[in-house]
This record gives sequence, C-alpha cells and structure tokens, in this order.
Amino acid sequence: MRVAETADDDDLRGLLRRFELPLLQYATRILGDRERARDVVQETFIEFGRRKRRQTDSAPAKWLFTVCRNRALNICRKEKRVTYLDEDFLEKQQGHAPAPNERIEQEEATGFLLRIVATLPPRQQEVLQLKFQNDLTYQEIAAITKLSVSHVGVLIHTALKTLRARHAAAARDFIPFKPRLAS
Amino acid sequence: MKMNLDDPKLTAFALDELTGTEKEEMETAVAASPEAQEFVRELRLLSGNLRAEYAAEREAYPIEHSNLVPLEQKDEPWSLSRRLALAASIALCACFGAIAIGTLKRGGAGFVGRPNPGREPAPAVNQTEQTPVEGVDNLAATSPAEQLPAAPPPPVGASLATPSFNDLGVIASSDPSAMGAATARNRLLARQAPGAAGGASVEKKAEAWYRQDFNTARYGSIEENPFLEATSNPLSTFSIDVDTASYSNIRRFIENGSLPPKDAVRIEELINYFSYDYPQPDDSLPFSVHLDAASCPWAPTHRLVRIGLKGREMPNEKRPASNLVFLLDVSGSMEPANRLPIVKQAMRLLVDKLGENDRIAIVVYAGASGLVLPSTTGDRKEQILGALENLQAGGSTNGAEGIELAYRTAAEHFIKGGVNRVMLATDGDFNIGTTSEGELVRLIQEKAKSGVFLSVLGVGDDNLNDSMMQKLADKGNGNYAYLDSVEEARKVLVRQINGTLVTIAKDVKIQVEFNPAQVGSYRLIGYEKRLLRKEDFNNDKIDAGEIGAGHTVTALYEVVPAGTEPNPAASVPPVDPLKYQPTTPALAVLPKAKTGSPEMLTVKLRYKEPEGETSKLLERPFVDPGTAFANATPDLKFAAAVAEFGMILRDSEYKGNGSLGAVAEWATEGKGADENGYRAGFLALVRKTKTL
Repeated sequence: MRVAETADDDDLRGLLRRFELPLLQYATRILGDRERARDVVQETFIEFGRRKRRQTDSAPAKWLFTVCRNRALNICRKEKRVTYLDEDFLEKQQGHAPAPNERIEQEEATGFLLRIVATLPPRQQEVLQLKFQNDLTYQEIAAITKLSVSHVGVLIHTALKTLRARHAAAARDFIPFKPRLAS
Repeated sequence: MKMNLDDPKLTAFALDELTGTEKEEMETAVAASPEAQEFVRELRLLSGNLRAEYAAEREAYPIEHSNLVPLEQKDEPWSLSRRLALAASIALCACFGAIAIGTLKRGGAGFVGRPNPGREPAPAVNQTEQTPVEGVDNLAATSPAEQLPAAPPPPVGASLATPSFNDLGVIASSDPSAMGAATARNRLLARQAPGAAGGASVEKKAEAWYRQDFNTARYGSIEENPFLEATSNPLSTFSIDVDTASYSNIRRFIENGSLPPKDAVRIEELINYFSYDYPQPDDSLPFSVHLDAASCPWAPTHRLVRIGLKGREMPNEKRPASNLVFLLDVSGSMEPANRLPIVKQAMRLLVDKLGENDRIAIVVYAGASGLVLPSTTGDRKEQILGALENLQAGGSTNGAEGIELAYRTAAEHFIKGGVNRVMLATDGDFNIGTTSEGELVRLIQEKAKSGVFLSVLGVGDDNLNDSMMQKLADKGNGNYAYLDSVEEARKVLVRQINGTLVTIAKDVKIQVEFNPAQVGSYRLIGYEKRLLRKEDFNNDKIDAGEIGAGHTVTALYEVVPAGTEPNPAASVPPVDPLKYQPTTPALAVLPKAKTGSPEMLTVKLRYKEPEGETSKLLERPFVDPGTAFANATPDLKFAAAVAEFGMILRDSEYKGNGSLGAVAEWATEGKGADENGYRAGFLALVRKTKTL
C-alpha cells in the first residue's frame, strides 16, 4: 500500500509541511501540552485526508485551524482542564508568562514584543497569533474563532494599542533591552 | 480635520484588511491627517516587528516536523540511522494503514511519551522523495490559499537511496527501541540550524530543547520518579523542600471548578502543606528525625515508609531580631484585587507581629525600582502601614534592579545572629527589563551567599511564573508560598511566622540507603524537582533546602519488599553487564551479616547551621515493624491520603487502586485534632474534586 502517490496526496504532503508546525504551536497554546497538541494535529490531518477535496479545497488554512481548534477545545472541555480559551476563564483573566521560556537557556530567544503579548488577555493573544504568525485575514480569523469580523478587528486593535503603549513605556524605562542573540 | 486614532477601522486599514468603499473612505481620511499617517506608519512597523518575532519563535520552537519528512540532509554520519527511522516508519505505516496508526501511540521503549515514527499520519508519507524542512519554517508571507513554494529536492547522498519495500520489512522487524533512539538523534541534529555551525554550545542548546519537549506552558514539567531496584540503585538522595505553594495553587483551580494542569501538582508540596505530629528535637539538634511505615494503601503488598523531620519550635518572644526587606512587585499586572491588595494585607498582618527590635524596609519595583520605606523599626507601625497604603500598581517590571536594591538594603542593616530576609511578593512577571530569567536566578544565587535569606510570596490567579518563583526560592536559600487568599497569608505569616522567618538549618539533604536483603525496589513519591546525585550528598558546595522553626518536612517512599513479587523496575530492560569490571562487586564481597541485616534502610541527613558553611551528619537506621495500614498512626494515614490525591490529580501511573473515595476515607481516619482546620479543608477539596 503506497500512500503518497496521487495528486491529492501530494497536496496533503505540502499542507502537512506547511501547516503542521503552525498548528502544533496553535494547539499547544490552547492545550498547554505538546503531547496532546501533537495528537490533535495528527487527528486533524487524518480527518483532512478523509474529506472529499471540494469540502476543504477552497481554504485549507481556515479548515485546518478550525478543526484543530475545535478538537483542542473538546479535549479541554472533556478533561475540564483550564485553558486560555475557557469562556469564564478568559473573561476575567490576564495573560500569563511566555509559553516557551521555561528553560533558562531559551530566555533570549523570546522576543520582546512577545513577552508583552503574553500578558494580554487570552483571546487577544489568540487572534494576534492567527494574524501575525499565520497571516490569516480578519475573515478567516473570525471563521476560526467564531467571532464576528468586527469583534476580531476590535481585539486586534486593542491588542496593538496595548502593545504600542507598553512597548513605548518599557523602551522609555529600560533602553538597553537585549535583542535576540543570533548565537 | 482631527481624526480619531483609537478606531479599529484605522487599525484594519493599516493592516490592509479593508476593501472596497471602506478602504477608499479610509484612504481619503488618512491622506488628510498627518497624525493618522504617522499612526499607520508606526502600526505597520510594529506589526512587522511582531511578525518577525513570531517567526523567530517558530524557529526556536522545540517541536519540529513529522519524522516522515527528513529533517536535514547535511549529516552524512547519521544518514543511515535516519534511513532506518524513515524506513521503519514507512514499513509500519504500510502495514497498519492510516487509522491504525493512531493506536500506535507511545510505543518504542526508548522514547516514552514522545512521538515516534509510527504515530505520524500516513497520508502524508512519501517514500520516494526527500524534502528539506526549511520551507516549512518560512511561512511568514504565505496566504492561506496558495500552495507551498516548491522547494527543489536537495542533492541526496547515495546512502539515502530510496529504500525498497523488501528492505523495509526486514528493518521494521528489528528492535523498535533502536528506531526510537535513531529518531531522537535525528531530532537533536535537526535542531542545529545550518547557519549555526555546530559548535558545542549549539549542541547544548539542542539538548536543552530536547529535554524541554515535555514542558507545558506555565509549569516546569515533572516526570515522576520510577521504581528503582535496591541492588543497582541502593542510594536515593534529595534535598528537603518546605514549599507549600503547589497546594494552595491547586486548591484555587479546584475551587474554581477545574482540575489543575498536571505539572502544577508537586506532591511533596501537597504533603508538606500540612504539619505532622513529630516529636520535638532534643537540645543538641536543630530538628528531629522520625521514621515509620505501614502497608501501602493503594498497593497493599507494598510498604509505605515515611521520613519526617521536625524543626525546633521557637516561641515568639525568643525569635531573634529581624531585619526584613519587603520587595514588592507593583507592576501593572499586580493591580487585580487578588494580587497587590492581598500582598498589602499580608504585609499588614506581618507588621502587626513585629516589634521594636525588628526592622522593616520596603522596596518596590516596576517601571523604576525604589526604596519606598527606608529600614524602620517595627514599633513605628503607622509609618510602615502608611507606606504600604500608598503603594499602587502600575508600570512594567524590572525585577533585577529591585532585587539588587533589596539585598543591598538588607545588607546595610544586617543583624548578626538575627533574621535577615528579603520577602519578595510578585506574580512572577519579571519579563521586562535588562535581565533574562537565567541571569535573575544567578543573581539570586549570588545574593544568597551574603547570608540574607529569601521568602517568595506568589500571588495571581493565573499563577504565571510558578516555575520561576520556585526556582528563585530554591536558589536563594528561600521558601515559596502561594497566597491565594488572606487566610493563606495568615497561615504563612502569622501562625507559622517563625517557620517562615527563622531558618534553623540550611542545605538539608537526605540520603537513604536501602538494604537489598529487605527491599526489592523503591520509589520516592514527589520531590522530582529536588533530586540530587549521590555524590552531592557529601559535597557542601551543593545547595539544598532550608528548614524553618517548627516546620515539618515529610517524604514518603513506596517500597516493594524483596522477593515478594516481580520488581516493578524490571519492566525496563536491564543495563548491559560492564565490560571492564564486574557489574555488582559490592554485594559479592559484603559479609553476610550486613546483607542479612533486618534493617530496611538507613536515613542519612546532612545540614548546616544557618550561618555555618560545614555540614553535619545524622544517621538513623530503620527496621520495618510491619504495621498494617489500618493500624497506622492517623498522621501517616493522612499523609498517604494527600500523596494519593496528588497522584490521582497527576493521573499517575503509580496511583494503584486508590480513588478519591478512598482518599477521603483515609484522610477522615487521619484527620486527628486538626486545630487549624487545614485537614478539614483538604477533605472539602477532595469532595469538590469528586464533582469535577
């Protein structure tokens, strides 16, 4: 059984190469757990492979992010684990510390702006990630997050406003922040 | 015309999200307003920077692509093993097909919990072409509908020739753990970016990422201690821990109706949240050592061994003069009611307990750090409380500067023989400033040598930097408590004030030697973050935990008696016999009398006096009296209940046949007098957990 022969499979391979990592990052941020995120992303791709082309053809990114998000949220709901996407949690919460910098060695790798992003409310973090890491449009983000386009616009606007202000304040107070080391 | 800059539409315009008439209208409006033009320019600059940082994050992100896509072509030496991994995974896929793949999770002995080739989604397999992974990382400018730019297949070495299916069958039937190892090595290599010319530092970094793979977003990951064989691993060494933060943290999660993230559950901190009724030490020692055992309630053929330490109690009037510096985080994130306001209230409680011999200073840090209250004697309460009252949250955080200033202030007023302590209250958001987390930890480590101790009081309901605060307390000769309420502040700063403030012994290490004649294997419950190498025990340069006045510290071992059942550790393949020396020389030459000793184990403790530099040694042998769990002391029952509760929350593979119902039962039997109601609180927590 050779599995990657047809044109469809070629597309799928391309999509996997292009979206596996972004989806893993996205799902990890929702689940707070890479193992599970990996499972979710794999299920998403398997599901994608099963679909008829026309269902997914027009906008694979939107489809993949939506399915990935739903599956991740289902896991959160099932396990009642706290996630930044839990509705009641995200109404009142602020963000938390940057995700990938548990280890000291990796500190410098975390960008200055991203550290500020990490303190924003979770929903703003999510739309920023979709917008600026994955280059999705407001419309696509709205479809994925099930918010209205104008709501997405407000979230991004508010987030950028905060970023500007805090960036400016921090730059004023501490000029010599270290840029990421090229090592 | 003055334009409103605080308009989502303008932002959308700057991000090129508007179309049609909306876009035209906005274009006209912006053209008429220099302010708006400047705003759009700045916003585009900002979003450009943000994109770049996201892209960099992706580059640094320690997960990479499906193993089916070869990770890198450059490493000729490994190409064979890569070929093996690739080939084996293809063979597996070919055998089981796409759906069955999902059930192959967590196979491969050398690769526990990590993805292995068998798990990858089969539809993406391509056996005939090897493509580099770089194309995937450069996503920044792609739009959703377009296809990936076709990357030309790189030159492929002869050794990477396409495997045929006949090869594959043969390879796949070979040892799966070898496959895992080969893949793991691939991963390591793959993280060495081609531009970063593989020096040692890169390798180290790669390894760090590799290890980090398990970490979740907010908490350092915990991999539970496994069972170890008493013959091959007779020594178990760890540092004591008096932190209690994990308990109050998980309590907050559960009370809010959700289970905590697994890695937020540190079982030793759960157990140590409660005090146990160990005897007072005699005068010559700073603490007493208590050992007992009973059958293990969640695995009745096993024994549960408890090691309990009790720090000397100290009456309030005997507490030495204190020189305290409050180092308070007043950055913007501290504003919510459960942060700075709780901290202020906690400090008020503490100030109330201090007197004219004590000194208090307040240092704040945020956008700028500063001394809000110079060191002031404890009887001038109005002045201190006034300074506290005036604190307000705002600005960003520079932890390092604040720490410098706090330790400097503490040093200036150092009281020899007294309590010298910096009390840091924060949500852990140290991220803005000139200092990285690593430097901050090193700074604290350096400052700890000055003889000033540290207390970390964590606040904040998203508990953002739990692992960081734990790290600071650990390295800074400190303790770490999490204040989820004023009630918790009262426990830490009023009822147990002497335990929090007065260190009676530092760098306390425990080393247990198990007697293989009595013990088949053993497992230390919790303390995963506190393990030491056996060589560290006698090395006074290695830092360890502190014990405060009246503190109790409890550690539990689950012990499998010798010869009773297959050793749980035996499921792991044995280590190869040594080539150049006999593998187990020690046992062979020991006189029979020693190995046949009825002693189950010997506990050795090392500690230093609070201002000492040389450690002292204590030794306590222990013979298991064979007590059944039903006849165990209430205290031991309660500790067992808490341990099992933690294991259930962690969904531990070692939780055995316990359940929340059983936990409640044991805790009820073990409740005892419970003067402060903490154990009743635990029972309520268990009941609440049952409903989740």
